Amino acid sequence: MRILLVEDDPDIARQLKGALADAGYAVDHAPDGEEAQFLGETEPYDAVVLDLGLPKVDGVSVLERWRREGMASPVLILTARGAWSEKVAGFDAGADDYLTKPFHTEELLARLRALVRRATGHSQPTLACGGLRLDPRAARATVNGEPVRLTSLEYRLLHYVMMHQGRVIGRTELVEHLYDQDFDRDSNTIEVFVGRLRKKIGPDRIETVRGLGYRLTPLPGEPA
Amino acid sequence: MTRYSLVGRLILLAAAWSAVLLFATGVGLSMVFHRAALDEFEAGLLEDIDSLYSGSQVGADAQLFAPAITDARATRAYSGKYWQLSELRPDGKLHPLNDQRSRSLFDQEISSPPDVAKELARQKGHIFFYPAAGPLHQKLWVGVREAKLEGYPRPVVFMVAQDRSHIDTDVRRFAFVTAAALLVLLVGLVLAIILQVRFGLRPLFGVGREIGEVRVGKRTRLSSNYPSEIEPLAHQVNALLDHNQEVVERQRTHVGNLAHALKTPISVMLAEARSTPGPLAEVVERQAGLMQGQVEHHLRRARAAARLTNSGERTSVAEVLDELAHALGRVFPDGVLDWDADDELSFSGERQDLQEMAGNLIENACKYRKRRVKVTAEATGPLRLRLTVEDDGPGLAEDAREAALKRGQRMDETMPGSGLGLAIVAELAAAYGGALALGESRMGGLKVDLELPRAG
Repeated sequence: MRILLVEDDPDIARQLKGALADAGYAVDHAPDGEEAQFLGETEPYDAVVLDLGLPKVDGVSVLERWRREGMASPVLILTARGAWSEKVAGFDAGADDYLTKPFHTEELLARLRALVRRATGHSQPTLACGGLRLDPRAARATVNGEPVRLTSLEYRLLHYVMMHQGRVIGRTELVEHLYDQDFDRDSNTIEVFVGRLRKKIGPDRIETVRGLGYRLTPLPGEPA
Repeated sequence: MTRYSLVGRLILLAAAWSAVLLFATGVGLSMVFHRAALDEFEAGLLEDIDSLYSGSQVGADAQLFAPAITDARATRAYSGKYWQLSELRPDGKLHPLNDQRSRSLFDQEISSPPDVAKELARQKGHIFFYPAAGPLHQKLWVGVREAKLEGYPRPVVFMVAQDRSHIDTDVRRFAFVTAAALLVLLVGLVLAIILQVRFGLRPLFGVGREIGEVRVGKRTRLSSNYPSEIEPLAHQVNALLDHNQEVVERQRTHVGNLAHALKTPISVMLAEARSTPGPLAEVVERQAGLMQGQVEHHLRRARAAARLTNSGERTSVAEVLDELAHALGRVFPDGVLDWDADDELSFSGERQDLQEMAGNLIENACKYRKRRVKVTAEATGPLRLRLTVEDDGPGLAEDAREAALKRGQRMDETMPGSGLGLAIVAELAAAYGGALALGESRMGGLKVDLELPRAG
């Protein structure tokens, strides 16, 4: 899962970046409206955390333009301005949720999880695929009840494929959603990670569709 | 009448001035009348003296004969009309000539003032008048003239006198009637002045009333249809109101900016403290929490200050509910949010305040509901409306409802939110003269009734 964090305050940005990375997200940070505009339009984010009071271009304008351009990622507005009149303006511009400063980091993470989950059409907080389960709240995965130890990239990879289970996911798509922009991307590393993941969760759960990508399906005989 | 009453001053001044003028008029009229009456009276005496003078003859032995006066009054005793001829002797005294007086005098004579010789010399043959007491205490007006007659050795003094009491009576009567008439006029004038002042100053009272209405928020500025003298005042008052509004607005923005600017650092401090537990972190977290409370408090104060200066705005309830339902539908997509409000129903107050109240209530309901939230707004009177928010959640016990309205109380620590929601709504509602009541919904959960002023 890859998140765009738009926040001009360096301390909040640092704190949130840390908290989001700990929760298993790849995070890009934009400190002003212009960069946010560019990143949001060019990179496929799974969710955006958007501050409203930004240098250069204000947050509501950025959001409005994103929505006009057809950017569909869920956006959570994070702002000091908490009056309902301001919230309504934010939702009108295309926000999906709204959080007022000061906030609890846990609450932000919970709201983000809910946003991502809803955006991919899942109604349960825990993701399941047969005996494989993933709880984003605890960033933990189990196979038939047995906990699986995952590195952060493996976790991201599993989270993403579980979010989109049953669908063929291209390598490029995976790269875009697993790494932040500063990462040295190489789609061959994906193969390495898928290989490692197969060792941990069972070799047949992630199927390779030749020339297209990967697909997560329940094992034959397991309930979906 | 207070010292500063304009009406009192104007009436008193005008009445006093009118009284002085009318009194002077009365005195003047009386004097003119008196003079005219006396002139006419004296003209009669003059004529009599002339006939006495021209009719007197000096006999061979220097005897003086007065003419026969035909006036009947001169022959009746003490009738009030008298004449008398005297001679001025070198001793400077008048000596009446024997038998040369009117029969009406009988045995009396017309008295003369002691310095009559001097006065006669000063008048050099012209007539002059003086008052004298006559028989039967009559007040006589005496005309005197000195003349030399051919063949008579000493100057002869002709005197004609007449009772003047009827003139005095006439003058007094005239003065009385005039005074009465002028008094009536004065009363009429004062009444007219009172009316004029009250009517004339009515726009001034209007200004006072309108300023009062501005103060209590019934109107935002003074109306413009004032007479030209008061128009500048109304204009200046309006300018002052605008300025006041501007200052409040500026302060409000200022406080708002300051408060919002503080929120980010507080946020950083809180997050940092939470992520590194320890005694220092505890202190920081507690103090940052206090700062946050202060910031929220002053933000609300600034909003309340702005509200006092604003009024007359109407906000469509249906529009606000529609916006909120749209926004909250995004945050809480699983579940049903029904709302119903008449398109015509309007809240008498600022849009953002209704958004704040309804937003907090509906958000709370959405947080606690199982599945459904129902919002209804309806008119309960020509100037009242009621917004009801119900949910099918667990609801609140009766004692918990009371506590929920208290500031800063949070019912459920596991639910996210500042916990100030209901308190803010109650505070806002109170500022609008409305009320917030918690009860039990037929849907099973909490029912919140919010009474607000309705725009007619």
